[in-house]
Amino acid sequence: MTSVGIKTRDAIRRPRKHRSGGEWAILALLIVGGLIMLFPLLVILLNAFKSATDYATNGPLGFPREFSLKGIQTFWNATEFPWRIWTSVWTSGLVAAFAVVLSSLSAYALGIGRVKGRSWIVLLIMLANMMPQEALLYPLYMMFKSIGLYDSDWAIVIIFTVLQSAFGTYLLSSVYGTFPKAILEAATIDGASRWQIFHKVVLPVSRPTLSVLLVFFFVWTWNEYMIPNAFLISSRTQTVPIALSTLSGQNMMDATTTAGASLISIVPTLIFFLIFQKTLARGITVGSVK
Amino acid sequence: MSRIPGNPSRRFFIYLVPGIAMLIWIVVIPTVWNIYLSFTQYRGIRPPIWIGLENWKSLLHDHTFWVSFGNSIWMILAMVVIPIVIGLLLSSLIFDVIQKKFGARMASTLRAVYYIPQILPIAVASLAMGWILKPQEGVVNELLKAVGLGALQQNWLGSPRTALIMLMLIMIWIQLGYPVVIFLSGLQRVDPELYEAASLDGAGWYQRFRVITLPAITPEIFVVALTCTIAALKVFAPVYMLTTGGPGDSTMVPSYYSYSQFFQTQQVGYGAAISTALAVVIIIVAIVFTRIQQNSEQKSEE
Amino acid sequence: MNRIRKMVTASIAALTTVTLLAACGGTSGSTAQESKPSSITIWTYESADSAMGIAWKKAMTDFTAKTGIKVNYELKSFEQLNANASQVLNSSSAPDVMEYNKGNATAGVLASQGLLANLNKYVKQYGWNKIITGNLATTGKYSDKGVMGSGNWYGITSYGEDVFMYYNKSMFTKYGIAIPTTFDQLETALAAFKAKGVTPLSEAAQEYPLGQLWWQLFLMKATESQINAYQMYTGDVNWNSAAMKFATNTINDWVAKGYISKNSTGMKAQDAGDSFTNGTNPMFFSGTWWFGTFESQLKNKFEWTTATFPGAERVPGSSGNIWVIPSNSKKQDAAAEFIDYTLQPDIQTLMGNSGGVPINADLDKITDAKNQELLKQYKTVLNGDMLGYYPDWPTSTMYDDMNSALQNLVNGTTDTSQFLSTLKTKYDKGVEAAGVK
Repeated sequence: MTSVGIKTRDAIRRPRKHRSGGEWAILALLIVGGLIMLFPLLVILLNAFKSATDYATNGPLGFPREFSLKGIQTFWNATEFPWRIWTSVWTSGLVAAFAVVLSSLSAYALGIGRVKGRSWIVLLIMLANMMPQEALLYPLYMMFKSIGLYDSDWAIVIIFTVLQSAFGTYLLSSVYGTFPKAILEAATIDGASRWQIFHKVVLPVSRPTLSVLLVFFFVWTWNEYMIPNAFLISSRTQTVPIALSTLSGQNMMDATTTAGASLISIVPTLIFFLIFQKTLARGITVGSVK
Repeated sequence: MSRIPGNPSRRFFIYLVPGIAMLIWIVVIPTVWNIYLSFTQYRGIRPPIWIGLENWKSLLHDHTFWVSFGNSIWMILAMVVIPIVIGLLLSSLIFDVIQKKFGARMASTLRAVYYIPQILPIAVASLAMGWILKPQEGVVNELLKAVGLGALQQNWLGSPRTALIMLMLIMIWIQLGYPVVIFLSGLQRVDPELYEAASLDGAGWYQRFRVITLPAITPEIFVVALTCTIAALKVFAPVYMLTTGGPGDSTMVPSYYSYSQFFQTQQVGYGAAISTALAVVIIIVAIVFTRIQQNSEQKSEE
Repeated sequence: MNRIRKMVTASIAALTTVTLLAACGGTSGSTAQESKPSSITIWTYESADSAMGIAWKKAMTDFTAKTGIKVNYELKSFEQLNANASQVLNSSSAPDVMEYNKGNATAGVLASQGLLANLNKYVKQYGWNKIITGNLATTGKYSDKGVMGSGNWYGITSYGEDVFMYYNKSMFTKYGIAIPTTFDQLETALAAFKAKGVTPLSEAAQEYPLGQLWWQLFLMKATESQINAYQMYTGDVNWNSAAMKFATNTINDWVAKGYISKNSTGMKAQDAGDSFTNGTNPMFFSGTWWFGTFESQLKNKFEWTTATFPGAERVPGSSGNIWVIPSNSKKQDAAAEFIDYTLQPDIQTLMGNSGGVPINADLDKITDAKNQELLKQYKTVLNGDMLGYYPDWPTSTMYDDMNSALQNLVNGTTDTSQFLSTLKTKYDKGVEAAGVK
């Protein structure tokens, strides 16, 4: 029932003699490309543990002369970093969960239910994904202020649940549009209702796609910048990237602090990403009937 | 008729209610409101004053506005065209060569490495790139000096000749992982035996790519192209953090321009007009894409 | 069709009503006050190790110790406050007192929109106008239209700032060049360094430094009425005046001769500061806000000194940032009391000893020679009425316009007359939009 993932290590064991020179060249090329992709991260790493004086003397390329945690400490204390992480985790987590639920409900109606005027509805839903955020900002600010949710993380949860689920609905609708008919027919013969088909058949079968969406939504929400920057004014409500931008403000003038801050702001997403690596491997594709 | 036998389509409307209701609240109402604001003189605090088409007339003669849309085209090149082309190449190489000859672990490691810039908070990515491209003591210039190419040192983000190109390179760096991951997951649908058979028939890598890989992931290419085009038109944070649209107007983009009107000048009405114009452009692009996609789907169904 | 039109009309009408209702906040100015607050919220954007950061922290501790009122302190960034100030102050999330930038385009706009509390009664109560006088007071008062210099008090400064030359003495000695005291000597020194293969001036055109140099050059030749026309809209700005041309041509000339690197277009203020501290450039024209940082960073590196720009009778500078109390605060009395703490001599002296520029310090208690030098210099400036404000104050876009125009000038994409006409267009547009004239 599941899709063919990247096979586990022992599944594809090929005798080495099949590797031609050209294939080695391709590998080398991809590794060099990969190093270029990682280069900026290495620069951050190089500067995060330097003292300010050291940075001013030897520039960003010099190897740290002395191990200094001052930059990271400054940021950690100024932002109460553990709380920032927690804020980011729970808002991104809730958005990911809610948005997946919302997208699958809508996509079920559009892709499998094939409701009338569905292409227009998909277009309308895409609107949400397409509107430049700054075009929604002022009206959203007014609305959320009037219901007492300005400067609250719940505003971020609500707004991004809707914006992310727009993309999810768009993608899932086309995936469900190609949902194996045989499975649906079999379920109907067994006398399942629409709701049962939805949560006992459609959701489990499309789980790989849903988990990929979950990861995407989480990371996207974590990294969101403009709307949180406008809505999360008090320190206690701020997410990690906003706390970081507070630092690169006009009067916070220290390159090593910024490097340290960048480094510890990346770590949580990196950990999350490594945990869910496997999920990303499974496709945005619904398992084919075997 | 729905795809579940015996269940008429209209019975499914109930499933749309939560999604559509939220959408109306968070997107539709603010959008209409913003369109209304674009016809007003409004500074964000005292009530808006209706001024009809004034903002729109000023837009037509606003040089910066047109420059910003011109730059959007470069952003589409950097965030859509180039990443998709390179992404196709990388994903098929990883899928068809690396995974087979060097094992799945190498393949998934490479995929992870290419995807990492995607998961960086944009604030961090911009910050790091700002350093690397600094004219004095910047990493790139220091490197050039170290290998004896000091003459090639550039004021990367500060000179109108290179600022936009650098911004484009940064966007390519950030975007590349997205098509790679999506295409690789699309390729999982392809039956490996197809490749085996093709190889036995003596098809080379390029032929396999053209005949098997490309058709298999056409839907993914559409999804990536559409989402990235929209993202390219909306690009904001890197410009905001790295160049603030400068030097001059050379890296100005519509999103940042409307933001600066909203928040730096407090000309909310004018900002609303710019962002409405941007929304209209995005919607037109989306409609065109969807049409093309529907046509190609119909073709493949025939 | 008619039904649709009715619906659209109705929804727009409904939305407008909501907008109007939502927009009614902030202008009332009669927020119900709490008589005995248990805490107040303070926002600033000076880093903790700056002179202001150190002194204000002490003021907060003293305030809590004496009044029993807790302080919820939050460090912000200027950009964040600048972009969101009007929304924040118009909501219930507003702090009770916050640091804000002085000038028409910032505090002036907020004051004219009714978002800041009128502080006249507190000025009387605490006698602040005896400490904050002359040039320092200009940036605390704003007219109904938000123009500084007259009207009610909306902001109270607790320190001063100006812009001057930082010189790397060790480098001057090394190359046998004398520290200049007149404008001609400055040009001689610039040329001498260039001849030795050293780019003399550390500059940044992505942010404020180059704009401030341009303004300093303008101040060299400008008359008082020209400055007031530009800053307070008291007349038409003559963009073709000798002063304007002198400032622009000099920048052009210095770039052409290599005194200012073309790289400055890609540099932020921090980068220019770094170039000075790591000995790349021997001269840096910038403000008092660097002083404390340089003191700690340059301790064992090289000898340095500061001086007013050679030959200048006016310098860029003003009061420091100001304390403002949002109209929406329910604890204005306590907030004003806190402001008074920051003006007390002991706090002010601490600021002076941390490398800041206090305005009410006990000068005998300033121990460090470097800090004394700085304070003396500022005193001279104050006593001589030399403060000439900043170039980006007149309109809310002037800061960005100035930087992008200067970038084009340095890059050679525009010449002097194009530069001035671009600025004129932007300036006129900004002034018109602000409705201050």
